[in-house]
Amino acid sequence: MKTEQPEKLSGGKTDSMFINLGPQHPSTHGVLRVGLTVEGEVITKAVPDIGYLHRGTSKLAEVRNYHHCVVLTDRWDYVAAMPNNLAFCLSAEKLMGVKAPPRADALRVVMCELNRIASHLLFFGTYGIDLGAFTPFLHAFREREMVLDLFEMACGARLTYNYIRLGGVMVDVTPEWLDKTREFLAYFKARQDEYDTLLTYNPIFMSRTQDVGLIDAKTAVAWGLSGPNLRGSGVAYDVRKTEPYCGYENYDFDIPLGKTGSCWDRYFCRVSEMRQSVRILDQALASLPAGETMATGVAKIPKPAPGESYAHVEGARGDLGIYLVSDGGISPYRMHVRAPSFINLAMLQETLVGQKISDVIALLGSIDIVLVEVDR
Amino acid sequence: MTQDELLARFTAKFPKAEKAAVPVKDYLTVRLSAASELLPAAAFLRDELGFDYLEIVSATDWLGPVSMEGYIRNPNPNVFLPEGATPQITAVATPGVAYRPVFDLLWVFGNIAEKQKLFLKLEVARELAAVPSLTGLFKAADWQEREVFDLLGIRFEGHPNLVKILTADFLQGHPLRKDYVHIKDKYDED
Amino acid sequence: MGIILEKLPGITKGLPGGELLLTTADYLIDLGRRSSMWPMTFGLACCAIEMMGSYASRFDFDRMGVIPRASPRQADVMIVAGTVCKKMAEPILEIYHQMPEPRFVISMGSCANCGGPYYDSYSVLKGVDRIVPVDVYIAGCPPRPEALQFAVIKLQEKIKKMSLARGLGATPQQEKGSRDLASLEIKG
Repeated sequence: MKTEQPEKLSGGKTDSMFINLGPQHPSTHGVLRVGLTVEGEVITKAVPDIGYLHRGTSKLAEVRNYHHCVVLTDRWDYVAAMPNNLAFCLSAEKLMGVKAPPRADALRVVMCELNRIASHLLFFGTYGIDLGAFTPFLHAFREREMVLDLFEMACGARLTYNYIRLGGVMVDVTPEWLDKTREFLAYFKARQDEYDTLLTYNPIFMSRTQDVGLIDAKTAVAWGLSGPNLRGSGVAYDVRKTEPYCGYENYDFDIPLGKTGSCWDRYFCRVSEMRQSVRILDQALASLPAGETMATGVAKIPKPAPGESYAHVEGARGDLGIYLVSDGGISPYRMHVRAPSFINLAMLQETLVGQKISDVIALLGSIDIVLVEVDR
Repeated sequence: MTQDELLARFTAKFPKAEKAAVPVKDYLTVRLSAASELLPAAAFLRDELGFDYLEIVSATDWLGPVSMEGYIRNPNPNVFLPEGATPQITAVATPGVAYRPVFDLLWVFGNIAEKQKLFLKLEVARELAAVPSLTGLFKAADWQEREVFDLLGIRFEGHPNLVKILTADFLQGHPLRKDYVHIKDKYDED
Repeated sequence: MGIILEKLPGITKGLPGGELLLTTADYLIDLGRRSSMWPMTFGLACCAIEMMGSYASRFDFDRMGVIPRASPRQADVMIVAGTVCKKMAEPILEIYHQMPEPRFVISMGSCANCGGPYYDSYSVLKGVDRIVPVDVYIAGCPPRPEALQFAVIKLQEKIKKMSLARGLGATPQQEKGSRDLASLEIKG
């Protein structure tokens, strides 16, 4: 923290002060740095500084083959890695002209929704910590570990799965896995009401978030927000509805919408989305088609014909899209990621201005970024 | 509004624009003829066709296969690999592909209400590449254009704050250019 | 504590039975150090989620005396959890130098060990041990919370073998300030 020395004492006027938030700060969820200029308690200028985790994934993809690239995708949004896998696989499958079999599609939906629950649980827990409530974190992680156990049972990994592969999924799930998942869903439904009493309708929590960080629908669209951040402002945009993939059109679910675009609305969208995910999971598990889980025709080292493809999915943080260009070689000629966290975070420089310094963390937490996805 | 109707309305206003020869699969891809068309086209899309959601700003360098000097590769082969296996992929040119010194820029506009997308492409020469910035029309272009500038070195004229965003300050060059050569910095020494 | 650490080795040098006094002090000091290792909450990338997982309900790091601190001034051990990029290298060094001595570093995950999946990237530091001395390495991408706990147990074993007679309680590796695998074996 450094103070700008005033030229001379001016009567009654506060000096502006520069506050450096991050890159190491427990509430920035990674290594985000924000340079804040404050006047008294009000922020007059906010300059986010990113790139502390830039790993050059797009460059690396140019010398990895398509199967290797799936491994790289896991590590962008590591909190919800399944949708990342899926977005890349859908885009690459389009390029190769491969279609995943129905059972694989259903399993992809199941895994993505489970991952969405795990991701939103992490948000729920850490947002509580950001605002000074430690108990929700312990509750959220208790359930999150159960989801991770399911993933571990299905594919062996807790965080970076590489389960969704080109042309299908890695391996079929066992009947025991299905039983365990149903068991978890029954258990989880009761827990969700507990979360509401614990945090959602907690008066202190509500007063700290309800009138903070308002983003109206027009601003949200102009900044290109997506996911719960956009829906919190009342815009019904969900890739699962607008451009259904993997058979999302067959499931019956709602899109939770916020009203004012406050931090609480964004929070509430995520909590309600978990309920919708449970609904989708119930339907998907009940109607799981039998058959193969891997399409034929995916080479060990695929060489798709020259062309371009784009596929996007509704990740836990928003509209995650992968743009692939192939020149006929074994690696993508160009891979561009539409990373939702990156685009959501850009809005910060405008929204933070005029906020109180104590609301920065409330706002930052409610955008729910993953810094690796921001920097890639 | 179907893709054909959209294309008809767009080309009625911009007769020089045409459907791209290599489209992005499943989406309507329109290629602009000159950089000067970009701003009017974006404004037309936003104000009259309702495409108020800028999804992507991206670019591809078509110079050729990526130079391996942009990577920090350890020359020692992996001793555990079986005989004959190639441990690391090196990029090679595919015969028959028209590599040329251009940047192929891509903008994706979305219409949330009508559930439509329009892919807008534009080729600019690689030397001193510059295109007009869309920040005046779409705020979402701000960071995405900075990213493209940082990684590919395309200047967006009229951008209020066109500086590095992702790479470190001491990194020289633009990493996603195909001829990027990595210059060793203080952290690369063994 | 500081006075004991600084003065005791000098005072006891001439005393009869001074060695014994030192050994007892060693035991007590090391007991204190190893039973309350406070790490920096310092998450970089994917491994940070597993680190959070180990603090949370199932794995419950608190029972080993590991309580996360938000400030480097209060921390004993830095868990480097995730990819260290070149832009982040300097902040990490700064945080390391802000920690009080003796300080320990756990390198968690393949990225922090050697660059991991990003071994040929232009912006990733190939191992955090290029900038700070590392005490324990954990393999995995990401390592499980159990692996992190095992690393803490290993670090506790290492602390157990530290002695006042050798400087201010710092291990030779830490005094040297750079990577030296040979000195990892400290004779008790």
